[in-house]
Amino acid sequence: MATVTVKDFRNDVRPNWCPGCGDFSVQASIQRALASLGKQPHEVAVISGIGCSGRISGYINAYGFHGVHGRALPVAQGLKLANRDLTVIAAGGDGDGFAIGLNHFMHSVRRNMDVTYIVMDNHIYGLTKGQHSPTSAHGFTAKTTPTGNIENAVVPAQLALGAGIDFLAQGFSSDVNQLVSLIEQAIQHKGFSLVNVFSPCVTYNKVNTYDFFRENIVNLDNLDGYDSTSRVEAMKTVIETEGLCTGLIYRNDNRQDFEDQIPGYLTTPIAQQNLQLSPEIFAENLKEFA
Amino acid sequence: MEKLFMKGNEALAEGAIRAGCQLYFGYPITPSTEIIEYMAAHLSKRGGTFVQSESEVAAIYMVFGAAGSGQRVMTASSGLGISLMQEGLSYMAANELPAVLVDIMRTGPGLGGLGPTQGDYFQATKGGGHGDYHLIVLAPDSVQEMADLTATAFDLADGYRNPVMILADAVLGQMMEPVSFENIHVHTYEKPWATTGAKGRQRNLITSYNLQNETGEIKAIHLEHKYQAIQEQLQWAESYQTEDAEYLLVAYGTSARVCKGVVHALRATGVKVGLLRPIALWPFPTQVFQSYLDHVKGYLVVEMSAGQMIEDVRLAIQHQAPVSFYHRQGGMVPQQEEIVAQFNRVFLEGGHTS
Repeated sequence: MATVTVKDFRNDVRPNWCPGCGDFSVQASIQRALASLGKQPHEVAVISGIGCSGRISGYINAYGFHGVHGRALPVAQGLKLANRDLTVIAAGGDGDGFAIGLNHFMHSVRRNMDVTYIVMDNHIYGLTKGQHSPTSAHGFTAKTTPTGNIENAVVPAQLALGAGIDFLAQGFSSDVNQLVSLIEQAIQHKGFSLVNVFSPCVTYNKVNTYDFFRENIVNLDNLDGYDSTSRVEAMKTVIETEGLCTGLIYRNDNRQDFEDQIPGYLTTPIAQQNLQLSPEIFAENLKEFA
Repeated sequence: MEKLFMKGNEALAEGAIRAGCQLYFGYPITPSTEIIEYMAAHLSKRGGTFVQSESEVAAIYMVFGAAGSGQRVMTASSGLGISLMQEGLSYMAANELPAVLVDIMRTGPGLGGLGPTQGDYFQATKGGGHGDYHLIVLAPDSVQEMADLTATAFDLADGYRNPVMILADAVLGQMMEPVSFENIHVHTYEKPWATTGAKGRQRNLITSYNLQNETGEIKAIHLEHKYQAIQEQLQWAESYQTEDAEYLLVAYGTSARVCKGVVHALRATGVKVGLLRPIALWPFPTQVFQSYLDHVKGYLVVEMSAGQMIEDVRLAIQHQAPVSFYHRQGGMVPQQEEIVAQFNRVFLEGGHTS
């Protein structure tokens, strides 16, 4: 195949996201990152959950699974173990990843399989038309919090660091160049990686808008001397910015991923292995029952 | 009588509140979401409270906890979410905890689609979770019944100490009709089993684990007898123009609404046909069928599934007359003229295949 371009990762399905939805930028960034890494569509699988964001697997020309609410990560891990040569990207929303799927997220971080998880975090449930999500702020009003949210918000970056993540980045739908770079690095990182993207819902969230994020985000790329290899500095920054920071927050390349530690796990993917038994091995096996 | 113009889901939620439901736990899912939104908007103004939980699994166990205290509690979802609740439902049935849950069905299996369906009949009436248990299952066919049957569900749940399910579909959840709440009242039941504080009496322990097989059998027999009693006492169906009927349509919920039009259309051509509409799906109104067995010449079951309730119809009529079937699936609703054509084909033109 000739040089891969963004077009190779496009299909003819037109997204039905609302005009202005942040998810358009996330989709474009994933496609650009894959092309710039020289991946071929058949080398990639996008596994998504449920919600507006979950539709993304249908909009990218690669292998895909439009999944089950909250279960994108277990599906992605099962696929990765069956075919370790695939670039496996799990993608979903904040409800998918940090409500029903939160335990899977924490265990995926801990397990450290080579999967990239991209979350489109809009602080609201959009597909069901505007209920609060686990990343909605205290006081946030929505259809199921008519007098204001009385729960505290999940801070995804804090959770990820707490669970021991080795690659943590956050992006913003308005800054596609940064987002493409973060997704490229996340895919290249060997082990579990999270790219949490502030991806505004223009229809149901009138608080966490593009302007809100522009005004409140601290871009770590602009911070002199920020050390993304320090877990302590990462945690301190996430706490100080209340999670509203973008850029590469933390990266540690000194740990083996899950796959490389599995005893006897072959470098040839299980999906590619020749399962044909030779007559000699078959005869040998039969001796046990003789 | 004052009537309000409401969506089925809203009427159901209002009916629950008027029946004394003060606690609601759930998770948004189309086409049931108006129920959680209504509860969010109204419960706290009327002395109750609610939580939008992190998942349906959490919701059903919040229901479990509240039911253990003897309070009237409800959750609602759609098939996918109900699947996640099955473990909790099995435990609630085992612990004989009363609660009401609502399935506003959408198509499946898997993610399916948002259209109306009746594909969760098996899941609702045959168990769904593990072990030997039953939910009581009620099937409304109007916005008024969305409210009325929900209120009745609380009484059945308390009376029999068993979870009760309202099984409806996207049409009934989303459509608007006039509805009255004047006949809905709070009925209170003694609940000496509830965890209300043990001062002055023996403590109540809610558990479904049997430490010995002998006690396990006693418990199983107790449940078996309870389900037998429910089957004898709750035989609930609407008989619509059945007095002189030579043929019967059998349908519930939205399918039954369409079938009433079919009855009118066929009777206009001189065919003596009626409709049997099961209102309780479990227990299935088998006894209601008995009075028709000796003179009905054929049955036409209409469902929005590949054929689920038809199995219970066949059992009820014991193969004493031909049972035919018409169905649409995947979010499509059977149309009156399609059913009329099917009826004519199988019963009047002799094309029946059972």
